[in-house]
Amino acid sequence: MVTTGLGATMVRAGRRLLSSLPALFGVLVFTFLLMRVLPGDPAVFFASGPNAGKEEIEQIRKQMGLDKSVPEQLVFYLSDIGRGNLGRSMMTGQPVLKDLRERLPASLELTFAALLIALIAAVPLGVLAALRPGSIIDHGVRLFCALGVCVPTFVSGLLLIYVFYYLFGLAPDPTGRIDVFTSLPPQRTGFLSIDFLLAGDFEGWWAACRQLILPAVSMALFVIAPLARITRASMLVSLGSDFVRTARSVGLSWRKVVVTYALRNAILPVITIAGIVFSTMLGANVLVEKVFSWPGVASYALDALLSSDYAPVQGFVLLMASLFVLVNLVVDICYGIADPRVSIE
Amino acid sequence: MRFVSFRLATSVLATTALLLIAAAPSQAQTRAETLRYVTGASVNTLDPNIPGSTRESFALSMSTYDRLVAFGRKQLNGKWVFDLDTITGELAESYDVSPDGLKITFRLRKDAKFQDGSPVTAEDVKWSLDRCVTAPILGKAQLLTGSLTSADQFKVIDPLTIEVTLPKPDKLALPNLATVYPMIINSKVAKEHATADDPWATAWLKEHTAGSGAYAVESFKPGEQVIIKRNEAWNRGSPGKPAFFKRVIIQSVPEPATRANLVERGDADLVLDLQASDVQSLEAKGKLKVISTPQYNAITYVSMNNQIPPFDNVNVRRAIAYALPYEDMFKAALFGRGSPLFGATWADGKPANGIYPFQQPLKLDLDKAREYLKAAGLPEGFSTTFSFNVGQAATAEPMAALVKESLAKIGIKVDIQKLPDAQMSTQINEKKLPFFTEGIVAWLPSTDYFYRNFYTGSQRWNYSSINNPDLAAIAQEARFEPDKTKYEEAGRKLNAMHFDLMPQIMLWQPNQDAVMAPSIEGYTYEFHRQVDYRDISRK
Repeated sequence: MVTTGLGATMVRAGRRLLSSLPALFGVLVFTFLLMRVLPGDPAVFFASGPNAGKEEIEQIRKQMGLDKSVPEQLVFYLSDIGRGNLGRSMMTGQPVLKDLRERLPASLELTFAALLIALIAAVPLGVLAALRPGSIIDHGVRLFCALGVCVPTFVSGLLLIYVFYYLFGLAPDPTGRIDVFTSLPPQRTGFLSIDFLLAGDFEGWWAACRQLILPAVSMALFVIAPLARITRASMLVSLGSDFVRTARSVGLSWRKVVVTYALRNAILPVITIAGIVFSTMLGANVLVEKVFSWPGVASYALDALLSSDYAPVQGFVLLMASLFVLVNLVVDICYGIADPRVSIE
Repeated sequence: MRFVSFRLATSVLATTALLLIAAAPSQAQTRAETLRYVTGASVNTLDPNIPGSTRESFALSMSTYDRLVAFGRKQLNGKWVFDLDTITGELAESYDVSPDGLKITFRLRKDAKFQDGSPVTAEDVKWSLDRCVTAPILGKAQLLTGSLTSADQFKVIDPLTIEVTLPKPDKLALPNLATVYPMIINSKVAKEHATADDPWATAWLKEHTAGSGAYAVESFKPGEQVIIKRNEAWNRGSPGKPAFFKRVIIQSVPEPATRANLVERGDADLVLDLQASDVQSLEAKGKLKVISTPQYNAITYVSMNNQIPPFDNVNVRRAIAYALPYEDMFKAALFGRGSPLFGATWADGKPANGIYPFQQPLKLDLDKAREYLKAAGLPEGFSTTFSFNVGQAATAEPMAALVKESLAKIGIKVDIQKLPDAQMSTQINEKKLPFFTEGIVAWLPSTDYFYRNFYTGSQRWNYSSINNPDLAAIAQEARFEPDKTKYEEAGRKLNAMHFDLMPQIMLWQPNQDAVMAPSIEGYTYEFHRQVDYRDISRK
């Protein structure tokens, strides 16, 4: 049976998605059990009023459903998930689904911005380094990458705040996605930079972007290194290959040789790494979120974990697992577009 | 497919940088009338009665709801603090306590209105107090400490008069009504949202307010920020005047260094929870106002579980008490910002007064510590663990290192254990930790209250798990002692027992460091250890 290119990609994507369902279920059960095994009783923690005694602890335990046996809790949990209910967070007092829905766009916006900045910086740097291996440029890029990786994100974040906010006052105060005195646009996508544009409020859009720059840059600094290094390595292979030599020998322009032939062939591993980097950033940007008071999902999950608030942690892990599946899918599809020969069955 | 060219990439970067530099800070005109308060914690419910509610939620409810009565304020070493002994009317215009102390009659203000415009009536007061002692909420355990336990105790006399009956003349009954929980709710509105499962509308009140307070909630984003706006009709502070600020923004900023930057740059007006080192440097720069108040209703302890060997031996506890390097710990943990509870000199070997907490005559004396260890039959020392929670790491970590170093000198080997907060509270509740540091706070700090809640029973707050029937009996009796001299005598007795039994070691009362813009005035240290936004104004 012959299918068209696009059709084949879709079929492949569908099959991929189906095969990831058991993994998601596994993650669900595993997280559930893990949270119960961890020492620390959330009921005791939350019953911390100056007079909270045994009665209050029991009260909270009942409210959280912890008075039932673990298998029973698991069954309730799974049936809740089936109905799209992720439970209620003790910490914020809100349904977890609502919390995540409000916070995920914040994390995604930050991560996308950071990844964009990282790619814009890393790919040219990698290409430059590959074009002149061993030169001063190559060493410069290596030094820059090493520095980026060495400095933890919260250190670079605090440094950026110190310089741009505290010393020079160029950046807005690092407290969340939008200045407290700016009114919010009607919520459509949850991405402030898009919502402001849709509402036609350019001043607001600019305010949102200004808030975004510092955290995005401090996150980008950290991931430029893997992206630039992988671009360099795969460009080196591609520049040394037969087709590039042929292209050069027939007198094609430098630009056509490097960008059209060499880079396009070298981009596959970069896409793979970008996919992985993206998923890791989404979960690992907790430090940046904390430093910039960014109301994202990672800092939400960390706070929940510290206070043994089960529902948000479980919801977060489920969300991350689903996102991982999605990102892998997108990477697969990107493969197909970058190199039509690829078909992963 | 073409890839992004270098030129495009560089021009994008250059433009972004330029724009970043060019844009001027946007400021709203109402900035002077707005108070921006930043905190590391967050508000998680609009009803402080909900189990699990945070201290920030307590503070918010003080402004969104009124109570029958409120605490006055007094000056303590030149700083304003709440005054437990002055109870003024809030919704009550006046109150009378009957001569036998068994009846308190409150007359409500005629001009008091809820935020929806309806008048505050005795029916609303009764419903709210009934809710506090009946519904499964936090108010129940609090009001219990003031002998308020049943709805029968609250009686409506007429639409503006309510009578509270007590089984015994309890000193803490009236102060309890000024605490966070017994807030007065608009019962008509709340009842509309009550269900069969939830007759007291706890679910609805968690996310909505129906009060008569100085501020109304404008927007509430749990974990991020709350914005409240002034209730122009409110006049319970200074007569005829609403609260000062038109708007208050309560914003969560988890990173302490960022909070320090914000207030130093003038973007935030007020912050309470900075790191001691930041407070010190901000104070040294002299640009901001720093008000440090010893938290006189809070205490930090080094606790020993009196039921777990070897700490069940009083001589071991005394040995530890003489082997702690108090001065160094005080400097390392708090940079000396607090009131020490060690290093007193008792001329006649007896406590100077009957007030708890008190300074004990303890100082580092390794020879004495060794003697006590010998008396305990452990001259060679022993091994133990010393625990603290992650949330207090900033102060507890340096302290733990000093404890370990000093105890090693008398042969006690200490392993330091840093526990996540939930795990720490669980282990304390289950009485499993032998040796740890923790703090307590009491809203209504009186000597018998401290001893009854923190030195008796098997609940979590009895950190030392001390079980001494004599001590419990004296404290219980003191609770209803009307005679001031006898009460003072009981206090002295309890304090002497504390020093003799050494169930745990009182270290200090940390300062509450309020750092604010120079224009901010009126800050008062409140019993809930948060800002009461109604106190604050701008010059």
